[in-house]
Formats: sequence, structure tokens, C-alpha cells
Amino acid sequence: MNIGTRKILDRSFTALGIGSIVVMAIALLIVLVPIITNGIGAVFFTGTVEHRKMLINEFKRGDTDKLAEEIASSDRYRSTVYKMLTGFEAELDRMPPEKKAEYKEKYSQVKPALQALLGPLPGDPEPMLTRFKYGQTRWEKAEEKLHDFLYESKWDNSNPNVMSKEYFVSRALGFEGTTLAQLFPYVKENIDHMLLPEFTVYWGFITDSSVDSHFFGGIWPEIQGTFFLAVGAMLFAFPLGVIAAVYFTEYAKPGFFNSMLRSANSTLAGVPSIVFGMFGLAFFINTLKVSESKSVIAGALTLAIMILPTIIRAAEEAILAVPKTYREASLSLGSTKWNTIATVILPAALPGILTGGVISLGRAAGETAPIIFTAAVSVGSAIGLADVFSSPTPALSWNIYNLASEHEAASQIRHVQYGMVLALVSIVLLLNLSAIVLRARISKKLKG
Amino acid sequence: MLMTADAREISQRAPAQKATRDMYIPPARKKISGGGTAHISAKEFSVYYDEFEAVKKVTADILSKYVTAIIGPSGCGKSTFLRAINRMNDLIPSCHTTGALLFDGNDIYGKFTDEVLLRKKVGMVFQKPNPFPKSIFDNIAYGPRLHGVNDKKKLMEIVERSLRKAAIWDEVCDRLDKNALGLSGGQQQRLCVARTLAVEPEVLLLDEPTSALDPKATAKIEDLIQELRGSYTIMIVTHNMQQASRVSDSTMFFYEGVLVEHASTAQLFTNPKDPITEDYITGRFS
Amino acid sequence: MADDSVGGNNRTNAFVISARKRAIQKVSKTMGEGMLLAVASFVAIVVLFIFYFVARDAVPFFQLRGFSEFFTSSNWYPADQPGQFGALAIIYGSLMVTLGSAMIAVPMGVAAAICLSDILPFSIRQYAKPVIEMLAAIPSVAFGFFALVVLAPLLQNNGGPMLMWAWWILVSPFLVLGVLVVSDLLTNSIKDPQRRRQLYAFLLTVLGLIAVFLLYKVGTLLYGIQILTGTNALNVSIILSFMALPTIVSVSEDALQAVGRDIREGSYALGATRAETIIKTILPAASSGILAAVILGIMRALGETMVVWMASGNSSHSPEPWFNYLEAIRTLTATIAGDMGEADQVTGSARYHVLFAMGLLLLVISFISNLVSERIVVRQRKILSGQ
Ligand SMILES: Nc1ncnc2c1ncn2[C@@H]1O[C@H](COP(=O)(O)OP(=O)(O)O)[C@@H](O)[C@H]1O
Ligand SMILES: [Mg+2]
Repeated sequence: MNIGTRKILDRSFTALGIGSIVVMAIALLIVLVPIITNGIGAVFFTGTVEHRKMLINEFKRGDTDKLAEEIASSDRYRSTVYKMLTGFEAELDRMPPEKKAEYKEKYSQVKPALQALLGPLPGDPEPMLTRFKYGQTRWEKAEEKLHDFLYESKWDNSNPNVMSKEYFVSRALGFEGTTLAQLFPYVKENIDHMLLPEFTVYWGFITDSSVDSHFFGGIWPEIQGTFFLAVGAMLFAFPLGVIAAVYFTEYAKPGFFNSMLRSANSTLAGVPSIVFGMFGLAFFINTLKVSESKSVIAGALTLAIMILPTIIRAAEEAILAVPKTYREASLSLGSTKWNTIATVILPAALPGILTGGVISLGRAAGETAPIIFTAAVSVGSAIGLADVFSSPTPALSWNIYNLASEHEAASQIRHVQYGMVLALVSIVLLLNLSAIVLRARISKKLKG
Repeated sequence: MLMTADAREISQRAPAQKATRDMYIPPARKKISGGGTAHISAKEFSVYYDEFEAVKKVTADILSKYVTAIIGPSGCGKSTFLRAINRMNDLIPSCHTTGALLFDGNDIYGKFTDEVLLRKKVGMVFQKPNPFPKSIFDNIAYGPRLHGVNDKKKLMEIVERSLRKAAIWDEVCDRLDKNALGLSGGQQQRLCVARTLAVEPEVLLLDEPTSALDPKATAKIEDLIQELRGSYTIMIVTHNMQQASRVSDSTMFFYEGVLVEHASTAQLFTNPKDPITEDYITGRFS
Repeated sequence: MADDSVGGNNRTNAFVISARKRAIQKVSKTMGEGMLLAVASFVAIVVLFIFYFVARDAVPFFQLRGFSEFFTSSNWYPADQPGQFGALAIIYGSLMVTLGSAMIAVPMGVAAAICLSDILPFSIRQYAKPVIEMLAAIPSVAFGFFALVVLAPLLQNNGGPMLMWAWWILVSPFLVLGVLVVSDLLTNSIKDPQRRRQLYAFLLTVLGLIAVFLLYKVGTLLYGIQILTGTNALNVSIILSFMALPTIVSVSEDALQAVGRDIREGSYALGATRAETIIKTILPAASSGILAAVILGIMRALGETMVVWMASGNSSHSPEPWFNYLEAIRTLTATIAGDMGEADQVTGSARYHVLFAMGLLLLVISFISNLVSERIVVRQRKILSGQ
């Protein structure tokens, strides 16, 4: 090969390596950007009067007088809508039977679309589910529902070779010639008078409990559950892990037994997370019976086992990084081995051990599979500290799965799902970030 | 080689025999009252790393309150011998000993020896200054605290006394709560001496305490050793023969694990008995 | 011998202690170490327990149903009466996404590791490492959510164009390089520089045209593909590969770092370019360590639950044809996660135990691969340290 080609190959090789890293960075961005932008929308959004109504009714928060004013002003516009409806219903009665049947069919779609947009209409019975008690609380959702109200969605499957396509037909056209025809332009024109959109900062998303399985309200039960599980796991795993690391670094003598213990450690690190969940179910719940069924304690124990190898490894590394001279100095002053470990080695290794601990804490907070069978429930309120031994808890990781995959109206509450994902990812990444900063500090300190 | 208290006269300045030795001529030294008994004695004492005999059948007496220097080419077993005295070699699993090493007549490697208590009596300062990453105060107070002194006032007394003895008090008295790693190398080393003195040892082992320091800091450490002479039994390993001649009363010369010669410093430097010693101190090999 | 006077004078015998004290010291030391050992052994006990408890609930399945159905049939109807428990398609699904993610993650991961250990200057490496660490830290359920809510609709609606662009961006650089290298190699034997240059130019144009044609043709072919469901093996493989990457990168990087400086310098001294040095000397020296990295990375993909559960489509049929990554599949982990909720009610039935059989299968695979990778790493360390 001539030198030119060799050089090009060399450059391309470099480019390949750099390219891979760039792809990783881009992938990270591609994953994080939608999560962050949409997740922020759970707290900062354009809320409607329905949102404020919901807050006052469900959480007793907000300005009642202002709300009354707002409702009055919005009702001024809404009453026209209601009048049009009653007017059309009267007209419907006067129609010849054939025509009546045709319009009734069409009209039966209009009313629910309007209910979805504005909430229950006058004369409707009080809905059982909270989700039907209010119209759209978020403006961008209201715009979607407005579209659903204005246009009927139809599917074109005329060409069997191509996937059927969705297209939209204006509902107003369907009611051409009736009194209801004016309703559609009127609603379109006056929707913001009826819903009064306003920029809203809803910190309650973090601190409120959920209302009607996350149609309204916040994610506090999940955040608290995640906190209980992760901290509970650390309470078990951290001391055990540090003590085991002390044994491995300071006391273990090389030999078969010791290498077996180390193998066990790396085996444990490699066990698939779902298997931890099965083990937690079979051992902690079905055999040890730490609780009747799923509980925080069972989940925390399962997570503890999962993060134990990580903690041990991090602690080992941190202890081994303590300069030998500290040990010598301490021993030469007449300190016992144990005393040296407790007063010199562990304090010097502490930042490194904490770094590992913080990363493990993040991992425990983020894992889902181990808690599916041992601790997590999809709906539930925040539990008290006394209940950790008996009750299961909602948790961010599990509820993200649950809301996105199993919720009956998963696509209706995307903002909640995004908000939860953002909450979880920020918790985990902030923990990791602090670990990175901590580590940078240490290496600076060790350099002097 | 084995010196008794009477046989060992503290040397007077002897006339130089060869020009090359001029610089090693040791200064005249005062006799120390209450010193001169055999504080540490080795009898056929060997140290092994696995099969390798790093210190070979050494027999010697280290005299109390005097300064003994250990010299020899690197790898000859100086550190190994020194570390054997306060059992720092216990840290190395492959290390074991034969023969006897007595401290005030008690076997250091005896069955009933508590190495922790031993190390309290035999302090050590290492080649590289190794203060803990704690405050200066906590560094000095570390030892006393270990041995049960917790009273703040008493600790302060000990800290001040130790720092004064180590001739560093004036430099650090206004920043006792600052991290010890912020001190200069020479200060750190004197801090380490002070830390060792704080547990009130009888013996002070110094393993090349100045090899990581600049000449000015080295001079300060040497002055310090002079100050401490007479209060502690001091053993110092050094590569630097001027240093050995400046600070020590007697000198041991090791070669490949064997104690070749042990005599008063004046005698060893001016009139070595063994040709290898002579070769070494005249710098004919290194 | 009296308790308090074991030889020596009283003034300095403080370090000589009585036999009783010595015995107490010994006992307490042994006890302390024993306690530490007990804690350290905890991990080993947990591992044994995991094996025992998973196997305990897996064995009844094989007692009830034998081995052959589980491993050879693809009929998975656990809820039927009587149930059918053929897990072949599910095992195959696991295999498929594992292989798929490995195909993406291994070349990328090794290239990135090389880059980190041998190419990038320290200043840039400082920023690359946190990226990898963050990628490793993102919870799997967040990846799963992304796969389900962002990537799946994208694939479903714009699958064809996306595949085409991926093909162009990924393959064109390699085709260009291939054309250059092949033309160079083919003209290498010609002595006359004039003729050689002519032939080189000729080959370059011909091969270049072929390459462009290939790019275009396959591109349009891919453009026409309609992806029926966005939750499929491709989606999962892509996401899993990014989850496996951090492991592969960091373990491979360790292996590469372990190769000594002298080996590198020897190669450069012989006039090799950096790429040649890396490919011909460093990679072979680090190969076993990289193999271990690959095994560990693959295990991460095989054992991952949430992403596959959310975004694989959970169809228990094998795709048609067998290499069709655009169809929904189902994996062992997702089956365990998804079916345990229902099977838990009927503890003791084959339906419950079959899930533990799957867990045992995963456990055994991960155990073996861990042992293998550990052996490999130990061996490499020994070879490199020259023992
Ligand atoms: N931890 C050890 N394991 C094995 N051999 C050692 C160890 N430490 C020192 N040695 C060997 O013992 C001999 C004496 O070492 P040392 O006492 O450190 O020499 P010096 O301090 O005189 O330079 C050397 O040959 C050295 O290689
Ligand atoms: Mg030495």
C-alpha cells in the first residue's frame, strides 16, 4: 500500500473512534432532550380555567374569588354554546324521522367531544370519575380536543396495497343548513374565552398526590416510594459493603476461599436484574415472609442485594487508593490494625467510598425489575414511614412503565409520564454528577 | 564489632589519614550521662523475605541515648533491619525472622510481645514525610489520643511540647488547625518527628529522613537530631556519609545483608577495619 | 511463669504482656476477623441462595413437563387449559436482541475504547468519560420509555427513510475507504509509475461508480420498507446497544491500558502508523480483555428487562423470516416480568414454575459468562505481567 492510502486509513481509523464517541454523545442528547423538554412541561405549561378549578376542588389551593370571576366570564361564552345545543335538540325533534336519525347519529359524537373539551355540560349527571369532572386542564391538550371537536377523523382504505391513511372531515359541513352549523365556528373563535389559558407553574406536580390515577395531580407518592426504596436499600447494603471491602483489602489472605468469595462478588454483579426480583419474591416474601405480600422492606432488601457488589468494589478501590504511608505512620505510632483502619484508612477512603455509594443509590432508585414482584404497585398514595414493613408503594421507575404501557389512557397523560421520567432521570443523574464532582475533588486533594 | 560501654570511648577529632576522608571527620561529641547501656541488642538476628535472607545473622548492641547511623549501599538491608526493630515488617506477609532481637532485654519477636505496645516505645520516621491528611494539631494528637489522652488541655500541652521538641513550633503555632499537607516537605518531616515524639517513645528510628528534602531542610533535621541526642536512642539510616559523620556517635555498615563493621563513628570513618568499608566510605563503589 | 513478669526488668517491659492477656488478644482478634469474614461471605451466601431459590421453583416445572417442550416448541400458551410452554421463540427472541445489540455495540464500543486509551488527548477524554458514565447511569425504564414513546412511532411512521439514511451515513465512509484500498492494492504490483497512476485513476472511477450505484440501489430499497410496528427487535437492539456500550467501553479501555507503553513504542519505531500499531500490536495483546468486555456487555443486553418489555412488542412468535428485525418479538426477561403477575396467583402450577425455569436459564448463562470473562481477564493480566 502506498503511504498516502495508509495515512488515509490511519485518519479514518481515528475518525471511527472519535465518531463512536460522538455518536454516544448524540445518543445521550437524543434521549435526554425530549425527556427534558417534555418533562419540564409537566410543571410549566399553559393551564386553563379547568386546571384552576381542579386545584381548588381537589387540593383546596388557589384563589377562590378569582376563580369565581373567571368561571363567570367563561360561562358567558359557554352559555351561548349550551343555548345552541338546546336549540338544535329542539330542531332535531321537529325533523322528519329519516333526517332525524341521520343527524342524531352525527350529534351523538359532537356532545362527547364538547364534554371532553369543556367538562360536563349543564344538566349532565355528576360524573363518577374525577377525570370527567373537568374539561381540558392543559391548553395544548385543549387544542387537540378542539381539533377532535371540529373535525371527524376517517380512515382511507381504498387502496389495499398501501396502509390505510387517516384524513379529517369538518363536522360543520355535516350540519350545513341546521342551527348547529354556527356552533363550530363559534367554539373555534371563542375557545380561549371559554378556557382562559394562562401560563402556569405547577410545582404541585412534584408535591401533590395523584388524582384519579394520574389524570390530575402530581407524583409525590412515586417520588417518596423511590426515596424509601433506594435509601432503604442503602441502609442495608452500604455498611455490609464497606465491611466486606475492609475484609477483602485488609484481612483476606490469598487462597482458594478468598478467590471464591471474589468470584461470588462478580457473579452477583452479573445476575440479571429480573432474577433479583424473582429471588426477592421467592425468598424474602414467600420464604422469609418479611411481609405478607409486596412491601417496601422486601423491595429494599432485594435492591440492597443488587447494589452490594457495586458498593464493595467501589469501597475496595477507595481503600486500596489510600497511600501505604498512612498505614505505616499510624502503626508506627502504636496504633492497632483495627484502629488504623477506623481512624486513618476509612476517613481517607471515605470520599471514594461515598462516590460509590452515591452511584449505587442512583442505581437503586432507577431499577425497576427487582421491585416489580417485591414492592411496587401502580396506584396508591404516599405511605407513612411506619408502613414500610407491610405496604407496597408506588415508585417512579415502576410507574413510568405502568403509565406508559398499562394505563388505560396512556396517550392522554404523556405529560405526566414525561414528568416522571424527568424526575427519575434528574435524581439519578444529579446523584451521578455529584459523584463525579466528588471524585474530581478527591483527585485534586490527593495531588495536593 | 560488639562494643561494650567502656571500650567505646567517645572519639576525639583524629588527624586525617587520607585527603578524601577529610570531609567525614566526625566532630567531637559529649558523653551522655545515663546513656550507653545496650538498649537494643541483636543476636544472630536474620530477616527473611520468603527464602531470601535480607539481613544476615546480625549481632550488635545499640547504645541508649546515643545516635547510631546505619550506612551501606542500597538494597543491603538497612531498612529491613530498622523496620525489624519496631516490627513494621509484620505488614509484609512473606517476612519472618530468626535469632534474637532484644529491647531492654525482652525479645521483640517473643511470644508475649505486643507489637502495638512495642511501637509505642519505638517510634519511626519514614523516608517520605507522611503526615495524615488532617490538621497539624490532629496529626500530633493522633498518638496521644490512641493511648487514651482525650482531655483537650492536656492534648494541647502535648502538642506544643512535641512541636517545640521537633523545632517546628514557631513555624506552625498560628495554624495548628490547617491541613498538614499544606506544609513544606521539610516542615512535614519535622512534623512527623513531632508526631512520633508525642507518644513519648524511647527509641527513634529514622529511615533516610532527609533523602526527600532540600539541603536547608536537611540541615534543620540534622540540628533536630543533635537536639534530641541524649534524650532518645536514635537510629538513622542514611545514604549520605557526611550526614552520618555529622550526626552519629556510632555507625553500622551493612553490605549485602551482613553487618560488616560497627564502630564509633570517628573510628569507622577515619580508621575502618574492613577493606569493604573503606572502599565504601571513600566512594570507590556505589 | 507468673502472669505479670515475663522476663526483663520492669521499667521497659511494657510491651511484654501476660499469657492471659495474649490469649484474650488472640481470641478477640480471631473473633473480630471472623465477624468480618462472615460479612464478606454474605455475598457468597446470597449467590448460593439465589441459585437455590430460583432452582427450587424451576425444578418442579421440568418435573411436570420435561425438558423437550420448553426448549424445542414455539407454542407459548401458558394460560390455556392445559397450558403449552414452548419457550423456543422466546429464547430466540432474547438471542436476537442480544445479537442485534452486540452488532452495534461491539464495533462502536471497541472503537470508542481505543479512542479513549490511545487517540484522544487527556483534555478531551475528560469530557468523554462523563458522557459514557451518564449513559450508564440512565435508568433502564427511561430508555424503555424513550424506545416506546419516541423511537417506536418514529420507526413506524418514517421507518423507510430512516433506514435509508442510516445505510448511507454508516456505509458510505466504509465504501469510500474500500474503493481507495482496493484500487491501491490492485495497482501495487505495477512498476511503471505512469501506467500505475493511470490504472489507479481508472479503477477509482469504476469502483467508485459501482459503490455509488450500490449505495443508491440499496438506499431506495430500504426507503420502500414499511415498518408495521415500531415496537420491534430493531428498536430494542438499538436501545440495548447503547445500554451495553458503557460496559464494553470501560472494560475494553482497561484491557487496552494494561498493554504496556513499550509495546506501542516498539511498533511506532518500526514505522507503523497509529492505526497499524493499534490493529496489529495493541488489539491482539488486549484481545482477551476485550473479549471479556464484550461478554459482559452482551450479558447486560441479555439480562435487561424494562426496555424489551416496553418496546419489543411482546409477540411470542418467531419472526418471519427468522432474521427479520422489523417484527415484534419477546424475550425471557420480558416474559418473566409480564407473566409473573398473573402466574403468582397460581403458585405451584406449571405456569408459575416455567417462569422460574426461564430465570434459572438466565442465571446459568450469566454465571457461566461471568466465570469465563473473569478467567479471561485473569489470564490476560498474567500474560501481560509476564508470569
Ligand atoms: N517486601 C519485600 N519483599 C521481598 N524482598 C524485599 C522486600 N523489601 C525489600 N526486599 C529486599 O530486601 C533487600 C533489602 O532491602 P532494604 O532493606 O529495603 O534495603 P535498603 O533499605 O538498604 O536499601 C533488597 O534486596 C530488597 O530487594
Ligand atoms: Mg531503604
